[in-house]
Amino acid sequence: MDSDGRRDRWDWDSPHCRAQLDEVFFRKNDYIQTGSPEHREFWAFFDRFQRFKTKKDMCGSVGARGRNGDRDEERKVKGKTAKVDLGLPVEYDARYRINVSVCTRDIEERVGKSEHRSRQRSSGPGDQEISDCRLALLHFLDFNQRQSFGKLAKLRREQKNLPIFQYQDKIVELVRRHPVVVVAGDTGCGKSTQVPQYLLSAGFDYIACTQPRRIACISLAKRVSFESLNQYGSKVGFQIRFETTRTIATKLLFLTEGLLLRQIQQDRTLAQYQVVIVDEVHERHLHCDFLLGVLRTLVAERPDLRLILMSATINIKLFSHYFSSAPVLQVPGRLFPIQVIYKPIPPEEQASRSEKLDPRPYLRILQGIDQRYPPEERGDLLLFLSGVAEISTIQEACQVYATHTQRWIVLPLHSTLSLAQQDKVFDISPPGVRKCIISTNIAETSVTIDGVRFVVDSGKVKEMSFDPKAKMQRLQEFWISRASSEQRKGRAGRTGPGVCYRLYAESDYDAFAPYPVPEIHRVALDSLILQMKSMGLGDPMSFVFIDPPPAASIQTAVTYLKEQGALDSHGELTSIGTLLSQLPVDVVIGKMLVLGSLFNLVEPVLTVAAALSVQSPFLRSSQNNPDCATARQPLHSNQGDPFTLLNTFNAWVEVKGERGGGSRKWCRRRGLEEQRLYEMVNLRRQFRDLLKSHSLLESEKNAASDGDRGQRRMRLTERKKLHQLKRDHEQQEGSKRKVLKLEEGHDGDMSSGSDTEETSRRKKDKDGPGQNMDIQEVKFKLRHNISELQEAVTVSQDMSSRHQALLKLLLCRGLYPQLAVPDEHNTNRKDSDQVFHTKNKQGVVIHPTSVFASDPEVLLVPDDGVSELGSDRRDSSKHQLLAFVTLLETNKPYLSNCVRVPALQALLLVANSMDSNADCARLVMDGWLEVELRQPEEASKLLSTALSLRGEWERLLLAQLGQSTEMRSAAQGVSRKTMEKLSDRLVRFLLYTEVSYSLRRLTAFQTQNLYIGPQPESELFQGKPPDLNSLFPGAEVKPHPIKGGLRVTSFFTYNCLADSKDLYSECLRTFWSCPNCDLYMPLTPLERMQHEASCRPAGEQQQTGEEPAEGKPGPSSVSSLSRVYHCDVCNKDLTLTSTEILKHKRQHK
Amino acid sequence: MEQTRQKTFTCQLCGLTSPYSYYGQKPPNTRAIVLLEECYVTKDPFSPDKEKFLVLGSTCSLCSMCVCVGSDCSLFYTKRFCMQCVNKHLDQFPHQIQTELAKKKERSKAAVS
Repeated sequence: MDSDGRRDRWDWDSPHCRAQLDEVFFRKNDYIQTGSPEHREFWAFFDRFQRFKTKKDMCGSVGARGRNGDRDEERKVKGKTAKVDLGLPVEYDARYRINVSVCTRDIEERVGKSEHRSRQRSSGPGDQEISDCRLALLHFLDFNQRQSFGKLAKLRREQKNLPIFQYQDKIVELVRRHPVVVVAGDTGCGKSTQVPQYLLSAGFDYIACTQPRRIACISLAKRVSFESLNQYGSKVGFQIRFETTRTIATKLLFLTEGLLLRQIQQDRTLAQYQVVIVDEVHERHLHCDFLLGVLRTLVAERPDLRLILMSATINIKLFSHYFSSAPVLQVPGRLFPIQVIYKPIPPEEQASRSEKLDPRPYLRILQGIDQRYPPEERGDLLLFLSGVAEISTIQEACQVYATHTQRWIVLPLHSTLSLAQQDKVFDISPPGVRKCIISTNIAETSVTIDGVRFVVDSGKVKEMSFDPKAKMQRLQEFWISRASSEQRKGRAGRTGPGVCYRLYAESDYDAFAPYPVPEIHRVALDSLILQMKSMGLGDPMSFVFIDPPPAASIQTAVTYLKEQGALDSHGELTSIGTLLSQLPVDVVIGKMLVLGSLFNLVEPVLTVAAALSVQSPFLRSSQNNPDCATARQPLHSNQGDPFTLLNTFNAWVEVKGERGGGSRKWCRRRGLEEQRLYEMVNLRRQFRDLLKSHSLLESEKNAASDGDRGQRRMRLTERKKLHQLKRDHEQQEGSKRKVLKLEEGHDGDMSSGSDTEETSRRKKDKDGPGQNMDIQEVKFKLRHNISELQEAVTVSQDMSSRHQALLKLLLCRGLYPQLAVPDEHNTNRKDSDQVFHTKNKQGVVIHPTSVFASDPEVLLVPDDGVSELGSDRRDSSKHQLLAFVTLLETNKPYLSNCVRVPALQALLLVANSMDSNADCARLVMDGWLEVELRQPEEASKLLSTALSLRGEWERLLLAQLGQSTEMRSAAQGVSRKTMEKLSDRLVRFLLYTEVSYSLRRLTAFQTQNLYIGPQPESELFQGKPPDLNSLFPGAEVKPHPIKGGLRVTSFFTYNCLADSKDLYSECLRTFWSCPNCDLYMPLTPLERMQHEASCRPAGEQQQTGEEPAEGKPGPSSVSSLSRVYHCDVCNKDLTLTSTEILKHKRQHK
Repeated sequence: MEQTRQKTFTCQLCGLTSPYSYYGQKPPNTRAIVLLEECYVTKDPFSPDKEKFLVLGSTCSLCSMCVCVGSDCSLFYTKRFCMQCVNKHLDQFPHQIQTELAKKKERSKAAVS
């Protein structure tokens, strides 16, 4: 009775009843706990299981008789044949197939503690319910076991089916016996994932495996860790620029080539590794070629090191020979057969250079596919074109066709697209529709898309080359190599048999170069040479590269590094060079960082340096969108692109601080790729750490320990939550791909950018706010302290004009010699036709993405400031120059990332070579820019101010750098006060120099006849004894051996310009009074400057702070500048400053 | 170098290999769970939960061959039997199992042809 009553009340669907069972089966210490994901899964399973049982029970009543009959039969059979009695139970029960049993509370209670039992009996689940639940639990456990084991078995099957599998033992044996082994195998053979695992299981520890791409490091580490069932746990990791999963336990590390090189810089013998695998060596990236060279010497030094090169089956001999005929193991790839069809473009459809690409050949192929292959046969198309412009031309035409036929979704793929747009190529097309992916060579190696059946190969590629003469990068279109051609073809045969259409003739193919030109032959080698120097690899010319770069290329780099002050005249690293070699950025960016650390401009300089080192966050496709343009407007700075980037970053950080994840929307509205901003903030952090580790930045008071315990705890809890979110994300990652919609192709359309905004907004609304977790935001929060960041940003926001001027100077000095001068006729040209010149390249234009492209007026010399002097001389105090980050020639030579600076001031402060005429009114900077001042008075004054500023700046910089190389002394190398004084003077010089001058680019003829050349001393100085050294204390003044004139400092040569005007002006003395001392006498310009160099304003004298020595005390006497002078006339040794010597000598006349 | 090598389980029928961390009936950290046979056990690599286990295989109760739990290699029915022994003594198994195996054979034949 009682039990019946209870059963009535029992309801499997009631949460209360389930909770009671939870207390029996899923207690706090049980295998499955209440509230865990498995627990939820169990109850879902339970419902299914009950339904299944009910269904079976209903059929079961019919079949029951048959079952009994069978059993009788069974017994009979058994009696006849079986020799061994297996002792199996007579009645079948699925329960017997489960090899698990569970001890739960009810069993525990039955065994012992009976006092609980009676209480539970009165209410709660009865025996039947408990046994039902137990049965379901056993089946659930069994089900889970089967599922997991199924996955494992599948994984092992796949591994076994890889072509490389049968070579496992062979590979291990080769590696054991030879220091260097080459493993060559084509796409899909499994070398990248399997070889490291074979070595691990063979007992090798500490394996490094390099990859050319960061993304590959992450995905390989994930894959290998998964395939090895995480048995190595944290033992498989990756390390890329900003992220690492490496721990002390790591035994297999995937890392980028560049990073391994950095590690060699720190640990020359790579003692931390036992095995180094260099993957994808055939791609011949700059870092890879260099790495091979370094490893080649290392192998000789470390016989225990094992080196494995992995490559496609391209040019294998080259690698083997480079490593004294290392053994090669060739593994077949796994590609399905691919039919190659040559369809050369008929002459009438071939575009000439200036024309747009003719889409007809491409459309014919789409049509052909539609005719030949039924739409239900799946398979997408991948089309290779050379560049972005070509892609949008063909995309437009294909889109028209696609809209008409409703059988294609057209998707572009190139690196300047937003990541979300790039990601679309992985989505699935609806049934009956094919994707038509129009891509650059990015899809040749970097991006692998499954499901491609058709490949169309234009045979063209745009490749960067470097013109060492113009110091310019050039993006040119070339025919691809046979190796690339094969690689492109292979993309059609990854998932099934495919077709490759080549839009060139077979004879063209035969004429292609066998391999692509390795990067080392195409790019500027500055960073490479710098790194070689810092690794002590000796003369770069004699380094044994696998394929040595042209000597001219190395020479250009060495010269450039000397110009930049990274190498001294003997080609050895300077202290700044040592530092630059450790910064993973371009030399110019590195210089900016070092310079910025000196002044109080670290925060903005960090941001600008980071911003200039990543791709621009401004999406090209949004440029024509009026909404984006309006929203971007407040970010623009007409000071230059680095300032726009700075504003953008600062505004973004502010949005992040206020709205957190809302920054995504903010970015979208402005056509910004947020990913780039995340990269910037990471890079910025890395720069900061680097500067700190070189003591170029004071480590701030430990911010983490600030704040009370409560705050810290709160931050800790939040971090925990964030980590959980990150883990959750990692688990669901890549689980499902979206299905594309037919109209999807439209929003990539360049001309109608507003569509993009529209679609993406719609999409966003669709996702719930909760599901729409922004993993980047989570990572950001984990990595950065937003309030710290906001503080840093506030410093660089609302910059005073003084700070702005100083920052511009720093950028300019960093970017030097990358300067461009506006053409003198720009005033008469249209906005779009503004022309500029660099030292080595005439007629360059501003890239349309630059602020100066939309606002070129700010570069013009204002009319009111101009005074016309004669025909082509425009005097003004407002001339400006552009300092730029890149000069890249595509269809035209373009300058990008420019900042404008006041011309004369900037040149006086940064130019490596300044030459003057006798009265210093004519100056030639770096042998190509001529400055003429109207007032010689002003000219020499300016010059001497500049000389003293530069001297002081250099001194402080060296002190700062010196301090970083030595152990940090108690006293700061550069006092804040000295630094502030200098920055004050620099700002004054930059902002308040109101001198009228003309600025002109010298013609080739003028440059040829620029200098007077070496002169007999007697002639130059008219019989006067050239007691020049005494004139310039500290500086060794002597005639310049080539230019003539006097070399006053390393960068300034006086009176060497062939200036026909007056040869004797150097001797002309005019009366002059020194503002700092009471000197008043006639002096030549040179004498005047030299006096100024030694006579500091009273305030500064204390700064140098040395004991005044004996000798005449006077306002201009600074002991350090005095020297012993022997006067022949009086025949006395006098301790005098050079000015005093001068005065003294005059007495005798 | 050798000391770090893990104990490896290998199925003598299909050749599947995988490192295992425990052999026996009571895997660690499984609390109330008891296995009804001595098993080769590892941590379930497919579960995010670190404490979930996965049974790789065990020995056949008749011939003592080491087999994995995959349905092509072995079967558990109160005890572990390798497929060779199951086929040898098929008649002693209940008809549910017999029909199931027959069906599976047919299916795999269909897949091959």
